[in-house]
Amino acid sequence: MCRNTTLSRMLLLFTCVGLTHAALAQQPAESAHNDVVIRNAIVMTVTHGNVKKGSVYIKDGKIAAVGESVNAPASATVIDAGGKYLTPGIIDSHSHLALNDDVNEATSPVTPQMMMMDAFDYQDKAIYRALAGGVTTSLLLHGSANMIGGQAVVIKHKYGAGRDAMLFPGAPRSIKFASGENPKRVYGSRNEMPSTRMGNFAVQRDALVQAQDYIRSWDDYNAKVKRGDKDATAPKRDLKLEALSDVLRGKLMVQIHCYRADEFLTEIAMAKEFGYHIRAFHHALEAYKVPEKLAAENIGIATFADWWGYKQEAWDAIPWNAVMSMRKGVRVAIKSDSDDFARRLNQEAAKTMRYGGATEEEALKMITLNAAWIVGVDDKVGSIEVGKDADLVLWDGYPLSSSAVPNKVLIDGDVYFDRSLPGYGMPRYTEGQ
Amino acid sequence: MKNQVTSNGSQVTGKSFAATVAVVVTLVLWTGAVSFAQQQPIALKGGRLLTVSHGVIENGIVVIEGGKITAVGPASSAKVLKNAKVIDVTGMTVYPGLIDSETSLGLTEISAENMTNDRIELSDEIMPHMHVYDAFHAESELIPVTRLNGITNAIVAPDSEDTLPGQDSFVQLAGPSAAEMLLVRDIAMPLNFTGAQRRNESWEKRKFPETRMGMAAQLRQAFLDAQDYQQRAADYEKKKADAERDKKPLPTTPKRDLKLEALLPYLQGKKPVVLAAEGPSDLETAVRLAQEFNLKIILNHVSHSRAMLDYIASLKVPVIVGPIYETPKDYERFDAVYSLPAELQKRGVKIAFASFDAHNARNLPYQAGFAVGFGLPADEALKAITLNAAEIWGVADQLGSLDPGKTANVVVANGDPLDEKTDVKRVFIAGQEISMTSRQTRLRDEYSTK
Repeated sequence: MCRNTTLSRMLLLFTCVGLTHAALAQQPAESAHNDVVIRNAIVMTVTHGNVKKGSVYIKDGKIAAVGESVNAPASATVIDAGGKYLTPGIIDSHSHLALNDDVNEATSPVTPQMMMMDAFDYQDKAIYRALAGGVTTSLLLHGSANMIGGQAVVIKHKYGAGRDAMLFPGAPRSIKFASGENPKRVYGSRNEMPSTRMGNFAVQRDALVQAQDYIRSWDDYNAKVKRGDKDATAPKRDLKLEALSDVLRGKLMVQIHCYRADEFLTEIAMAKEFGYHIRAFHHALEAYKVPEKLAAENIGIATFADWWGYKQEAWDAIPWNAVMSMRKGVRVAIKSDSDDFARRLNQEAAKTMRYGGATEEEALKMITLNAAWIVGVDDKVGSIEVGKDADLVLWDGYPLSSSAVPNKVLIDGDVYFDRSLPGYGMPRYTEGQ
Repeated sequence: MKNQVTSNGSQVTGKSFAATVAVVVTLVLWTGAVSFAQQQPIALKGGRLLTVSHGVIENGIVVIEGGKITAVGPASSAKVLKNAKVIDVTGMTVYPGLIDSETSLGLTEISAENMTNDRIELSDEIMPHMHVYDAFHAESELIPVTRLNGITNAIVAPDSEDTLPGQDSFVQLAGPSAAEMLLVRDIAMPLNFTGAQRRNESWEKRKFPETRMGMAAQLRQAFLDAQDYQQRAADYEKKKADAERDKKPLPTTPKRDLKLEALLPYLQGKKPVVLAAEGPSDLETAVRLAQEFNLKIILNHVSHSRAMLDYIASLKVPVIVGPIYETPKDYERFDAVYSLPAELQKRGVKIAFASFDAHNARNLPYQAGFAVGFGLPADEALKAITLNAAEIWGVADQLGSLDPGKTANVVVANGDPLDEKTDVKRVFIAGQEISMTSRQTRLRDEYSTK
């Protein structure tokens, strides 16, 4: 792969063969000024069909043109796809990678003030391994020990680029809620509340009531200030309640770990009671039992393709869940929830074509555009459209099959993974940097 | 090794011709006696046959009679019995039932619900007298889920947190009851040396063996004890014979020790040990130990032993690879494990895949498919979940390919067996077409009509 570097431009080089990998690895991210054209690919756009013998022109990290022929300047670096499939980068809407096991602050069932950002281990090789499987964006969520776990981080898999460069610019904030077996097992085993689903929801409701009080106390204070009351004293800041207040104010997208059909209904009722919206149910293995209820509330699901039976609340899981729910209008994403599955989400999506007969585009959507919607970045990634981030995967083989392997993965127009390279196959990474 | 597959589960190895005939008769009696037996001959006509043993036959025919495959060839070649049920499988792919070389099927139902698990006895590390067949739950809901994807046979093994957790069974995933499904009751013995067998969970709970040194010493002692036990048994027999001859009082019968007794077939090389190791040093230590006692070896996992590929090939033993989804070490390239099957196969090693799972055992063929993406030829990948596995487990005279005389475990699907998109349409086990239903299809159907 030949990338367009400042150096090469200055020297008017047509190829960068002369640049060693070590030299490339020293280069900073250049997405702000890259200029790349991918030619001769089967472009799976996700939103407007496949373009056979298609091209994608990338300028400054964004997709500038898509079609059978695109106008690209002669200076653009050319990637000849050799007839391979090109898809949008895969988006994992439920991941726990790069958290160095700091997934649950399981010392209290309500910990919304926990910031995943504070635990994000940007050097975790799991980020690279998922990248090598075509993943370009992940939503890093808290675990499910707590009813309210904490606030998530959205990353781009720019392994080696440094911590801040990996954060997804402009991604909305998400908060993780959980329900069911996990909180009741964690706290029940310590003979603490919650130890039942009744306890689970009582804990959640109680926390939200406290947040309502907190908002009220601040509203009162602000009103006094506005009236010119010089004696008004500001309420004490409480990080926990501040975070929950943002849930109630609609500033945090609520992502709920939830398996059982009855619990979806309880969560929906509680969201209505307190006036927030649920972005997605995660796992959601029983969504097929009440799909209309989820569709009516515009709640997405991030689910497994066929994982089941690992606990009681996963006993009714069926591999047709994704497609049965989709056919009733639910926005469905297939997610990993595992550093392992994250490496082969394309294969997991392919299963939906078999179980229920998803079309190629529907299957692909479940790991791209629909997943992007759940994360709240569908205006930026998830399809190959002009104006979106140039996060792309060039595949050896048909992407929705067991034997497909990413050949190259681009993020913001830069190649972050290239299978043909020796070592880790990462042109922008040097071990130990 | 050649295992006679019998209905009563006993294993016959190296017996006389008469004994073999007796076993065949038992088999016939089984297929004739139980309601599961196939009645009418069946001809699967027009499909693409992946025979595994002799290539691909387009527009072929497979004739099934009395639970066995009786003919395989081009559709025009075989004469079909008049009373045969002819099933048109034009456009379909027909292949032998898949064999999963390690599962915990029948030992678990809901992973997190302990009362549904009988996976391993953790009270001691040396537990060769644990027999999977004593716990195998033939009515598990997981079994129909698995066979619906074309997996017809499996090794069931205890979990791997003991160095010697017990003995594996080889099962057929359909049959009237556990008795018939347990084709070979004690087929092999896992010997686990991955480090996960150390009792070093926490400072408070640590006990012997806390290190690999401890594990090795304990294993060596167990096999020495078994050798000693064997010798004492032989001495007793001799003394007994002498006493009988001399009409003297008989010696005291030695006390039976089930643990040591269980090790004897392995010490004698009659059955293989499935030696699990991941990294190079564990692999070498465990192999050296096995060689010390002349154990017959099947290697398991070797996922992080890329530096040892030639060494592994030099051992001339089969390898159960994977799971292919094992995460590489941080110092390894992303595809270090993915490409291992291809690298071993290239060196002439006989490989088989295993799911190492129960709920997800149905996904076995996709591991093989994934290996194809990393250089394993597709026909070798299919072989690694059919004929290679049958050969490794000593049942290749019965299973693993579409050949006349073999048990009619046959799968009909609408495409490549190794691809996720392929839908399995029909599964025959011992010639019987099984119902394509499971707890999951029932839930699907129930909620599809709501």
